[in-house]
Amino acid sequence: MNLEEHVDLYERTDVVNSLLARYGVKFGIYKNNTFHEQLFPFDAIPRVITKEEFAFLEKGLKQRVDTLNLFLKDIYNEKKILKDKIIPEEFIYASSGYLPQCEGIIPPEGVYSHISGIDLVLGRDGVWYILEDNLRVPSGASYPMIARELCRRSSPKTFHDISIADNRTYADLLKKTLEHVNTGGLTVVMTPGRYNAAYFEHSYLAERMHVPLVTCNDLTVEDDHLYFKDYSGKRELVGAVYRRISDEYMDPMNFNPESVIGVPHIFDIYRKGNVALINAPGNRIADDKGIYYFVPRMIRYYLGEEPILSNAPTYLPYYEEDMKYVLEHLDSLVLKDVAEAGGYGVVFGNSMSVGQKEDFIALLKKEPRRFIAQEVIDFCGLPIFTKEGQPERKADLRAFVLSGEKTVVWKSGLTRFSRNPDSFIVNSSQGGGFKDTWVLNQ
Amino acid sequence: MGVKSVEMIDRLFWLGRYTERAYTTIRLYGQKFDSMIEEGSEGYDAFCHSLDIPNIYASAEDFRKRYPFGKDDPNSIYSNLLRAYDNAIELREEIGSETLAYIQLAVYELNKAAVSASPLIEFQSILDDILAFWGNVDDSIEDEHARNIIKIGKRVERVDLYGRLHMDRTSMVREVHRLTGRIARTGLHYREETIRRLNELISEENLNYPAIVEEVDRILEA
Repeated sequence: MNLEEHVDLYERTDVVNSLLARYGVKFGIYKNNTFHEQLFPFDAIPRVITKEEFAFLEKGLKQRVDTLNLFLKDIYNEKKILKDKIIPEEFIYASSGYLPQCEGIIPPEGVYSHISGIDLVLGRDGVWYILEDNLRVPSGASYPMIARELCRRSSPKTFHDISIADNRTYADLLKKTLEHVNTGGLTVVMTPGRYNAAYFEHSYLAERMHVPLVTCNDLTVEDDHLYFKDYSGKRELVGAVYRRISDEYMDPMNFNPESVIGVPHIFDIYRKGNVALINAPGNRIADDKGIYYFVPRMIRYYLGEEPILSNAPTYLPYYEEDMKYVLEHLDSLVLKDVAEAGGYGVVFGNSMSVGQKEDFIALLKKEPRRFIAQEVIDFCGLPIFTKEGQPERKADLRAFVLSGEKTVVWKSGLTRFSRNPDSFIVNSSQGGGFKDTWVLNQ
Repeated sequence: MGVKSVEMIDRLFWLGRYTERAYTTIRLYGQKFDSMIEEGSEGYDAFCHSLDIPNIYASAEDFRKRYPFGKDDPNSIYSNLLRAYDNAIELREEIGSETLAYIQLAVYELNKAAVSASPLIEFQSILDDILAFWGNVDDSIEDEHARNIIKIGKRVERVDLYGRLHMDRTSMVREVHRLTGRIARTGLHYREETIRRLNELISEENLNYPAIVEEVDRILEA
């Protein structure tokens, strides 16, 4: 495949960006307690993944997500992995991601993480490294979906000449995944509302799946079941809720009592198996950056296989040996607060002043469980299109893995890039842009 | 007909109302602006009075700028269009991205006009976007119920605005008849008494505009 023959595709980046603006393809961000809607800058030079490379990634991602589903089932039920001392208990029970309310619950069809967003980077050594597992409400699939739609209009010849897996089927794949666990009734997308960062995605996926987009005001729990309240007073049974709202706000009767965006008692009927919540409550324990360290061990433990995809080399200051290493090599490491996400709570050791280092070391010694340290991976950048040329920018890949009847890896993904030439941080909330991800058919 | 929450019905209705309000007030403002070119008149006071909005403007120049573009003025065209957008953005899955896009485009065009040296000429694009929005409502929204509710919002707003502006009898009769013909198709509970009364009012020799405005605003009262 020679992308150079299709320069018209990326020379029309501006046109595609103006169409993205037309369709309101935005994300929300709070600055100084004020909500702003921002466009998500798109670059039309895609990330290209060959058929063979995707087959490798697919195998590794399925292995990882299947393992994480087994882990969640185990941790909220038998806890064999703790009894066998593969993971220290305190990494579970001290984590804010562990929800005791989920003890003993097996969700419909036994699936915990229906939609998993796995963040990877391609190292300059040619190795794909997993940076993060997102098993709560991973966002981002809608952006490459709509960008592909527009790029096809912008440069039809490119898509005629190059055989690329069609990523616009994501909505069908997602709907199938949701319906697999539906306990009977409507499937709905539940949003906290338009002032959520990912509101565009909520509404777009609802539109593409042809299912209602609802807020807490539209739902009610009666007679141990969940209903959608019609304007005329009629009610319709709901069997699956793709909830884009975090655990703590989902049900004020079971979690944060001050939540005004949840549905009272929805968790009670979930516990009884009368509705599917997607993803399952309690998944945050698997998102925990401290737990990430243990995923390769989990794969060996649950599947008896060697991990196909590598973690970034990670140290847990919780272990004395690792603490020693971190203190000795602080300048070459990136430190991550396990409770943070979205690019927040990430500090590069070499960017800290002497005073900041001293403060950080004191905090690390006081709360070793709170941080992980990783070697800074020199990961590959991708070219972006500018009028002056095609400079390289750091880029990651969020792969979407859907677990329904089978585990399926979406043949695309969200490629995010840093717009700052000196930055490794690609998150949209930190000013990054995005690219489409092509998976070649041949 | 898909399930619809009370909130969605409300949003569909107000999407229609605010879109129509933005459309008609842009046209009226264009006419007013035009008349002020030679006159340099202070006639904007009468304009505000007719629309039943407070005259908060310090001068004709202030009115020219703030009435269309005032972000802090709740009665400005900008505020009305933004309310239409606020409703539309929460209805994407019902009205579709294509339909929503025209409201989004109208907002962009209004922002563009705000910094233009000749804003009046830029308004044509906004009117085009709104007309395209209505075309798309008919063409793309599959659910007849949703279509009718948006349209009834438009019809109610138009009778209200035309009543406030003391439009001619022909226009009033046409709009009340359109409202009468559409309302039953929404499936909403409405005051049949209002429809009967509006039809009475437009057949009176002297049109009682305040009564028409008062009556139409009660149409969805329980």
